[in-house]
Amino acid sequence: MSEEKQLTEQESLQLIANMIKKAKGSYHDTGIGSLLWGSVVSIASFVSYLQREYNFTLAIDIWWLVFAAIAPQVYLSIQEKKHLKAKQYDDDVINAVWLVFGISIFALSFYQNIVPVQTEKLFSQEGFTMMKHYADGRPDEIIKPFTPSLYSVYILIYAFPTMVTGMVKKFTPMKVGALITYGFFMLSLFTESKYDMLLGSASALVCWFIPGIILRNKYLAQTRSNV
Amino acid sequence: MFKELDPILHSQLRLAVMSLLISVKEAEFTFIREKTNATAGNLSVQVQKLKDAGYIEVVKQFKDNYPQTTCKMTPEGLKAFEEYVKALQQYLKV
Repeated sequence: MSEEKQLTEQESLQLIANMIKKAKGSYHDTGIGSLLWGSVVSIASFVSYLQREYNFTLAIDIWWLVFAAIAPQVYLSIQEKKHLKAKQYDDDVINAVWLVFGISIFALSFYQNIVPVQTEKLFSQEGFTMMKHYADGRPDEIIKPFTPSLYSVYILIYAFPTMVTGMVKKFTPMKVGALITYGFFMLSLFTESKYDMLLGSASALVCWFIPGIILRNKYLAQTRSNV
Repeated sequence: MFKELDPILHSQLRLAVMSLLISVKEAEFTFIREKTNATAGNLSVQVQKLKDAGYIEVVKQFKDNYPQTTCKMTPEGLKAFEEYVKALQQYLKV
């Protein structure tokens, strides 16, 4: 492109439109983050379902897999930032949404683990326990406090940043994934908690894993075309 | 009465640079060079002209021991670009 070429007004407008199009089309997420989180959340949820369905335990809590994925995610984010040649206006918004999502998920996992223990303590201080009383004469059983069907709330939270990202980036697979996940959330209100795990696994696939595959393919196609 | 087109913007490469920078928050020099297919020397000269006019901000730093130049449109640049587009529309009666 030469500097001195005199442009007509029509050519100027055409050039502006072309450059804006080039800049907008230059950015594609690598898709690795989506694939990573889609995989780990889906696997952890599915294994949790299998554990409840077939009554077995593992040496470690499968959800540690999700915590373990933070390290490669941090590494990937640093690498992606290093290779990023242009920063988009909506990058900060999207990053903020996913950061808030991460904090909310961690806060919810604390809630899930702390509230039952604290509730039990408060009950015992007040001198009572929760009992399951059978109408058919079977002996009563003590119930430990728990948070009923909490995984439905996780499913609801999975949809939120996915929908925001899909809308801001105009990326239909994420919008569709989020809509399906809202459907799974509604369905999970009527299902046993073990099936909520199965729905959570499917949510991670539609929200992140499948869009991740699409993003990865787009990114690789773009990389090939740049060679 | 037609408004005169801004001579700083009314040149092929400088207009291309400004059109790229209006679409992103900031961009590296290499990104602009790839998208405009300009030579590094020519692009440097035009970037400097835009900087001198106060239309863009240029930050030179080192990243992983390599020099890195990042360009960003200034509010004055944005205003000038908007006025340029308005003037074009006036000419073309868009």
